Amino acid sequence: MVNPKVAFFKFSSCAGCLLNVINIEPVLLTVLSVIDIEYFVMAKRDNHHGPYTIGFVEGAVTTPKEVLELKKIREECAIVVAMGTCAVTGGVPSIKNFSGMNQDQLTKTVYAENIYDPFLASIPAKGIDHYVKVDAYLRGCSYDLGEFVELIKRALKGEDPMFRPHSVCNECKLKENVCLLVSKGQPCMGSVSAAGCGALCPSLNRQCEGCRGPANDCNAASLAKTFMEDLGLSKDDVVRKFRKYAGNTPEFSKGAEAAL
Amino acid sequence: MLVEAFVLPKADLGSFVEKLKAGYEVIGPVANDPEFVFAPIDSAADLRLDYDTTILPPHKKYLAPPKETLMTFSGPATKTGEPAPAGKQVLFGMHACDVNGMLSLDKVFLGTYPDPYYKARRENTAIVGLNCTAPCANGFCSSFNTGPGMDTGFDLSLTDIGDKYVVCVGSETGKALAAGLAPAADADRIAKSKALRASQEKIERHIDIDNLGEFMHQNVDNPVWAELKERCLACGSCTNVCPTCFCFAVKDQVDLTLVAGERPRDWDSCQYLEFSRVAMDHIFRPDRAARIKQRLYHKLTYFAQQFDGSPGCVGCGRCATYCIVAIDPVEVMADLRDNPGEEKAVKLYTPPDKKVTPETSPWEPLPAKITAIKQQNYDNKTYTFSFVDPAVQEKYTYGNGVFNEISVFGIGEVPISISSCADVKGAFDHTIRAVGNVTKALDKLQVGDIVGVRGPYGVGWPVEKMKGKNVLVVVGGVGLAPLLGTIKYIANHRDQFGALEILYGARSPKDMLFTDEFEDLRKIPNTRLLLCVDDCLGMEWGHNIGVVTTLFDKMSSKPDNSIMITCGPDIMMRFAVKGMLALGWSPEQIYVSLERRMSCGIKKCGNCQIGPIFVCQDGPVFKLADIQGLPEAAL
Repeated sequence: MVNPKVAFFKFSSCAGCLLNVINIEPVLLTVLSVIDIEYFVMAKRDNHHGPYTIGFVEGAVTTPKEVLELKKIREECAIVVAMGTCAVTGGVPSIKNFSGMNQDQLTKTVYAENIYDPFLASIPAKGIDHYVKVDAYLRGCSYDLGEFVELIKRALKGEDPMFRPHSVCNECKLKENVCLLVSKGQPCMGSVSAAGCGALCPSLNRQCEGCRGPANDCNAASLAKTFMEDLGLSKDDVVRKFRKYAGNTPEFSKGAEAAL
Repeated sequence: MLVEAFVLPKADLGSFVEKLKAGYEVIGPVANDPEFVFAPIDSAADLRLDYDTTILPPHKKYLAPPKETLMTFSGPATKTGEPAPAGKQVLFGMHACDVNGMLSLDKVFLGTYPDPYYKARRENTAIVGLNCTAPCANGFCSSFNTGPGMDTGFDLSLTDIGDKYVVCVGSETGKALAAGLAPAADADRIAKSKALRASQEKIERHIDIDNLGEFMHQNVDNPVWAELKERCLACGSCTNVCPTCFCFAVKDQVDLTLVAGERPRDWDSCQYLEFSRVAMDHIFRPDRAARIKQRLYHKLTYFAQQFDGSPGCVGCGRCATYCIVAIDPVEVMADLRDNPGEEKAVKLYTPPDKKVTPETSPWEPLPAKITAIKQQNYDNKTYTFSFVDPAVQEKYTYGNGVFNEISVFGIGEVPISISSCADVKGAFDHTIRAVGNVTKALDKLQVGDIVGVRGPYGVGWPVEKMKGKNVLVVVGGVGLAPLLGTIKYIANHRDQFGALEILYGARSPKDMLFTDEFEDLRKIPNTRLLLCVDDCLGMEWGHNIGVVTTLFDKMSSKPDNSIMITCGPDIMMRFAVKGMLALGWSPEQIYVSLERRMSCGIKKCGNCQIGPIFVCQDGPVFKLADIQGLPEAAL
């Protein structure tokens, strides 16, 4: 049997999600026995052109050039996976969408005038499904390696992975973590954020930052109110929290708007 | 009769625990700063018997754990094993609320179709309860008589009376565990009663349980629910920490061979949008307010209706404690009582009284071979199955309109109604549309392939009641599959029934099922078959155009001495039922088949509930009169 061909691509992002792929050492060789990695510039010298069975795409789309590249990826890949928060919702790069500045102002603020180049032409940062159809999502900054392997298995079987989009609180409660919000008064976003990470941050005594984006039918407006009224967060802090990773989503927008 | 009681000086607690450890793993409350959890202990020094409450209820954590493997497999229908039986454990220091919560869970897991995994743990678990002499801040157990002291459900119960515990015996096991302790003196017993009375008086939070079920039913539309919807975060913490919440989801996991793996179950929550999701992304309970209501109604009335009057809420207060936005049943109920809805006569739903105790595990799919496949239309196939073991097939009987769980290890299980007639021996049919993960996998199978089947489950069409009566069948789309067997049964026993009239509607001619059998159906004596489609797509079509209710003008059926049975999309049945009622038919003579997410089929996983109904066991066929006026609309 010929193994499915897999490719890894990157747009505007930190490259951490691609690097994370290499972190699956315990099962890396087994995974490589069921797929052939044809294109992975970060990890391989010898890369091949498509078509591919699965294309994993990291990063937000922030330039017109990236839009064109993404559309080509869509044509070349039977299955397109948005890999990591930037590709899923626009992620950290999408913070700029809410800066209140237009593109010209942003460019002038970020880059010294003398290095400006048309290459830096930029558009609002979006997740890749703003431009192309996406077949599956690996949420998180970075995504969970268990979910990555699970997704490969489901894709090879031709199934919907059906990752549960329920709250981080679920996984946190199952671990019997002390609730950072209820017991310690910290503005944890786990209640409105999608799980799958195993409540990683709260289990390490750190608040959930909502890196995986909104949980199913979450009520971000109510949590924003709790942050302000019960925990005393400023309006600006609440807005920043909801626009850090997934400000582009309608659910977290409601959280930010409730504070404004 | 006086309960047998002993005393355990606090100084002897260490040696008492050591003695327990000889026969059991001892699990008790330990610090999880600043809270508490139940965990295995090394010695009594780890115990924090001064705990107020724990994050997870101990019995749920250790009898129905958050994740447990039901079985392992090496192929689509090849089971390889089950988890090793549980070892002996003692839950030491359980509060009365949790002991009562456990008794409620017993009804779920040990009632109809006893769950072998829970049962094995339960039988290997001894309960040493701890009566609450210092009630916790958020508890309201006294409202339900589920605390602060416990009367039943324990092997031993401890009550702190100062420098010692009074140890009451609740079972033979408990008596053996208490061996060597000094008998309690009258003064000790009096001290215990006094301590518990004092404790009860300290409980300041209460729910007024007077006429609670009826009251809840009268307040379905209370504005309180809309307010809660604005507050609720839909995080689901309330159900995880609840001592009586039992719902779970089963999802197969495979290793990188893609064929071998395990079938685990994980706790699930009715608070999640996807809880009621079925293939094609249909969600039966999309409104958050409806999900909040489902939880609180289930706690305060449905649970008791479903499980012999056992309490669905034991007043532990955990849901209020761990709710970020402080949704608290005590406050919700006070709000409702302050602004009650209109008092009106309410009929509380009563499920059919039945207990099934199969000889083998109700979870085990038995291998069945596909003996024939017939393409019905562009997206439906009829599969004929026969159990691989002839003895199993020989014993296998079913009613018309019931369903099986079809299992493909590595992908999952799916409830599918049986489309053959109960008269057929040696084989059974399922007509399946490939829309979800499991049905798409079935779509790829060939004659000779083997899948797992367990069942049959549920209540089918009321064939006995239909005898001697005219039968009107109103069908939409693929709804003909669960009805075809009944139609054939009537044909096979034609003299036992009156006139038969079938109204069958579909979206288009190509969406109809069993079209090659229509001629046979028309040949059944004293039978009419009327057809309609929403859109004939330009095809030649000599029948009605329009929804199925447009056939009502043409039908000859009359309410007298008749029964109507209907199956189809909810919206079609809603309009069909409305139309029939307008024509003078009574809810007593109308039967509907409801389908929800019947993931387990055995009244365990909770996914298929509509209000107090378990569709998988109480239905899927219901008499309209039985499901009218429920707090959650069934149709």
